[in-house]
Amino acid sequence: MSTEIFGFDGVNVWVDGLVRVLLIVGFMTVVVMGLIYGERKILARFQQRLGPTRTGPVGLLQSVADALKLVGKEDLRPRNADAWTFELAPYLVFVPVFLGFVIVPFVLDWQVRILELGLLYFVAVTGINIVGWIMAGWGSDNRYAMIGGMRAAAQGISYELPLVLSLLAVAMVVEVPSDSATGESLRGSLNLNEIIAAQAEIPNLVWQPLVLIVFFIAALAELNRTPFDIPVGESEVVGGPFVEYSGIRWSMFFLAEYAALLIMSLIFAAVFLGGWAWPAGLFQDDPWPRWAQALLVTGKAGLFIFMVFWVRASVPRLRIDQLMSFTWKILLPLMFAQVLINGLVLVYDWPEIVLTVTGLVGVLVLVMAVDRAVRHPRPRPAPATQLEGEAAS
Amino acid sequence: MSTDDNAAGTAEEAQVEVVDTFDDTIWDTVNRTLRAVDVRPERSALDLIIHIPHADIIRGLRMLKQDADLQFNYLRCLTAVDNESEGIDVVYQLYSVPKNINLTVKTTLPNENKVIETATTVWKAANWLERETAEMFGVSFSGHPDPRPLLMPEDIDMSDTYPLLKSHPFAEIDVLQGEILGHDRDAEGEG
Amino acid sequence: MVVDTSATEFETQDLLLNVGPQHPSTHGVFRMVLEIDGELVKDLVPYIGYLHRGAEKLCENNDFRQGIGYMDRTEYLAAHNAELSYVMAVEALAEIEVPERAQWIRMILCELNRISSHFMFLGAFGVDVGVFGTPFIYGWRERERIIDLFEEISGDRMMFAYFRAGGLAWEVPLNFPERVREVLESARQGVKDFDGLLTQNEIFIARTKNVGVITADDAIEMGMSGPTIRASGVPLDLRKTEPYLQYDQISFETITADGGDVFDRYLVRLQEISQSIDLIEQCLERLEDGPIMPEKMPRMLRLPEGEVYIRTEAPRGEYGIYMVSKGGNKPHRLKVRSACLSNLQALKQMCVGQYVADAIIVLGSIDIVLSEVDR
Repeated sequence: MSTEIFGFDGVNVWVDGLVRVLLIVGFMTVVVMGLIYGERKILARFQQRLGPTRTGPVGLLQSVADALKLVGKEDLRPRNADAWTFELAPYLVFVPVFLGFVIVPFVLDWQVRILELGLLYFVAVTGINIVGWIMAGWGSDNRYAMIGGMRAAAQGISYELPLVLSLLAVAMVVEVPSDSATGESLRGSLNLNEIIAAQAEIPNLVWQPLVLIVFFIAALAELNRTPFDIPVGESEVVGGPFVEYSGIRWSMFFLAEYAALLIMSLIFAAVFLGGWAWPAGLFQDDPWPRWAQALLVTGKAGLFIFMVFWVRASVPRLRIDQLMSFTWKILLPLMFAQVLINGLVLVYDWPEIVLTVTGLVGVLVLVMAVDRAVRHPRPRPAPATQLEGEAAS
Repeated sequence: MSTDDNAAGTAEEAQVEVVDTFDDTIWDTVNRTLRAVDVRPERSALDLIIHIPHADIIRGLRMLKQDADLQFNYLRCLTAVDNESEGIDVVYQLYSVPKNINLTVKTTLPNENKVIETATTVWKAANWLERETAEMFGVSFSGHPDPRPLLMPEDIDMSDTYPLLKSHPFAEIDVLQGEILGHDRDAEGEG
Repeated sequence: MVVDTSATEFETQDLLLNVGPQHPSTHGVFRMVLEIDGELVKDLVPYIGYLHRGAEKLCENNDFRQGIGYMDRTEYLAAHNAELSYVMAVEALAEIEVPERAQWIRMILCELNRISSHFMFLGAFGVDVGVFGTPFIYGWRERERIIDLFEEISGDRMMFAYFRAGGLAWEVPLNFPERVREVLESARQGVKDFDGLLTQNEIFIARTKNVGVITADDAIEMGMSGPTIRASGVPLDLRKTEPYLQYDQISFETITADGGDVFDRYLVRLQEISQSIDLIEQCLERLEDGPIMPEKMPRMLRLPEGEVYIRTEAPRGEYGIYMVSKGGNKPHRLKVRSACLSNLQALKQMCVGQYVADAIIVLGSIDIVLSEVDR
């Protein structure tokens, strides 16, 4: 088997794969450093500070300095820690995130592999890292880490559902370029390239406002970012599963966290904002050079990343029970409803404006439900001591 | 410097002067409430002080709390004063939220038997204050629900050390200061 | 049919979680052991004393002037208020009349200190609730301006030792009123910033409403004071109930809330900042030239025999000084009544039955200063 890379034909598939993966890993590391720097600068601006200024021009080398420091630190393992789980956990968090990059479309025809079931692959692969979190929490032999790990598991699994449903909702109704043989327009695709191509005219942002918001919320939770940073909450569980990690292992978690942020932002840009395609069908016939496409994707992904930082600088953390009720009682029913409506649109061939309208209604319902939950809270659940009585009887 | 010169002066005039009239205070009401108890009034710079014998202290405090005209439902402060040879005073600072009045209640414990009934049955606020007083002065509050030390270290046996008693030496710091000052003075002299 | 379930049932065990003394949210060296069942707190045992330095004993062995410095160190976030109680106790025993100008300046400084302390609370509380850094920097910024002013006046940023028995150590700078007004302007903006950032935030409300509730009766029973008890609806403000300095000369209302939960404690403090700004402006209008110390003051104070319990309204509640003098230049007994200690007693009652994350914010809402708790 052979393939084509950078204009070279007949390259062995394995060599090709290796080159691409190495490229991605190198690229990722640099970008993640940039992201960390960017986050610190942006957060600093939100907080009326300057952020890093001393290392290099305007602090540009801060991330490099941090990385060097982390690599140079001693890699400690607590004596009571479960050696294998403790040592392996960072890989189980780190590797799935990088595997996810296989399908990410950076620019037109520039990705590791174009997979027909791209979105499914993405969802499946990135879900694995929850195992790594639990392993880190369990293996550290630290109660904070264990609580953090358990919280991460609960949260990760719960928010996987709205995330998957939101991607499903989009994938269902996406319009695939029509088959030339039959002339019929087809619908539904999990291939990211096709999803982007379908947004050449109007991005999914317009058709699926509710889905977009739910995806953003679920992504925040999947990334363990504020307001869903419950597993790592500094003021509660002091870093959660990472509390015992140091040096390079800790930096692997850190790298994975930001890599996940990047991949999520790229998926967001591809699924909802149309990736490298210009809006309103501009330059559709004459694709721009790749650097311009890259700029566009960076801008779209940057929007997501900026929103994440913005949220981080301004909202408090939820509590674990609120987090769970929010996803199971509000997000999930809404997403089921949306998927159902999308299915109806698909089956009965209703005009697409129905999607926008129902989506906007859904957003309204979401806001009202949150408002109601906040302003008129239910009485608190009874303390767990009553459960013991039930078990005894 | 030592505290000896002050202590000598106070021992002579230990008898507290009792002011004759308490018309401007709540003494009448307090006296009426506590008629079953042997009470002696005194003046502080701000509030009325009453002395209650330590055997009756909790009974008296409860009466003060429950009386409709006084309602001392708020315990401001609870502490002790070491009067050396004359025993230890346990002092309660009371306040009545509904009536906005203050009262100081004092009781004297003999040095040989520093046991008093706990006030936690009257105000929950007394809990930690009593724990502190107990470890600092060696007063034992009988019936206290949680008689662990509060501020003192748990892992060192401090059962014979009562830091706020006058007999407890302050010497370490005194000596240390003296040494350092002396050293400095010598250094200056030589320099 | 009798089914033996003993083999199929799991034996469950509650987890003991040690929080502190080195934990980001314990505001110093406080330690509590939580007994948790999943995420619910079933029991809580607080441990204090890690910062016990024997301030009372030290004061009993130092003269009345030296004691002022130790008061700063017991309550380092509101040192002016702590000094005030101490010097007022000495003045009450020595029957010293404080000149009016000194009283007004004391009031201004104490209220400014209340503002700075409350801003510190708002900042730290924001972090406890989980906003990354933003409120902390907001609070720090306002506090910094006030502390700069204190430094201009007293020469120190935290340990002022500026009050003296009888008045003040020295005259304030000439531009004092203008500088205070500048600071107030920025503090007013700071209140707006916090109000906009947190008060109406849905997540903030969800996290703090109905959390850590303590009823008015319980709060009185526990001897709580300050904003913590006022949030439970008890109008207990010593500035109003037992006016000292010149608080009876100026107009203000006691701020209370009726929920007794974490949110109300936050809100009461936020409103108190605005109230203090208003109070200071009234004080500045009344401030006139005059002496700041009585004409005749001995170099070394020797107090007559007597005792007094002085209480003032510090930012965290009632800061009381119980001073017993038996003559001489040192107090025979000095007891610091710490507001935080009494407020902290109620922690267990407020936390049991809540979630672990709630225990953290309840602790934050009490606004403890460990050096005041332990002294």
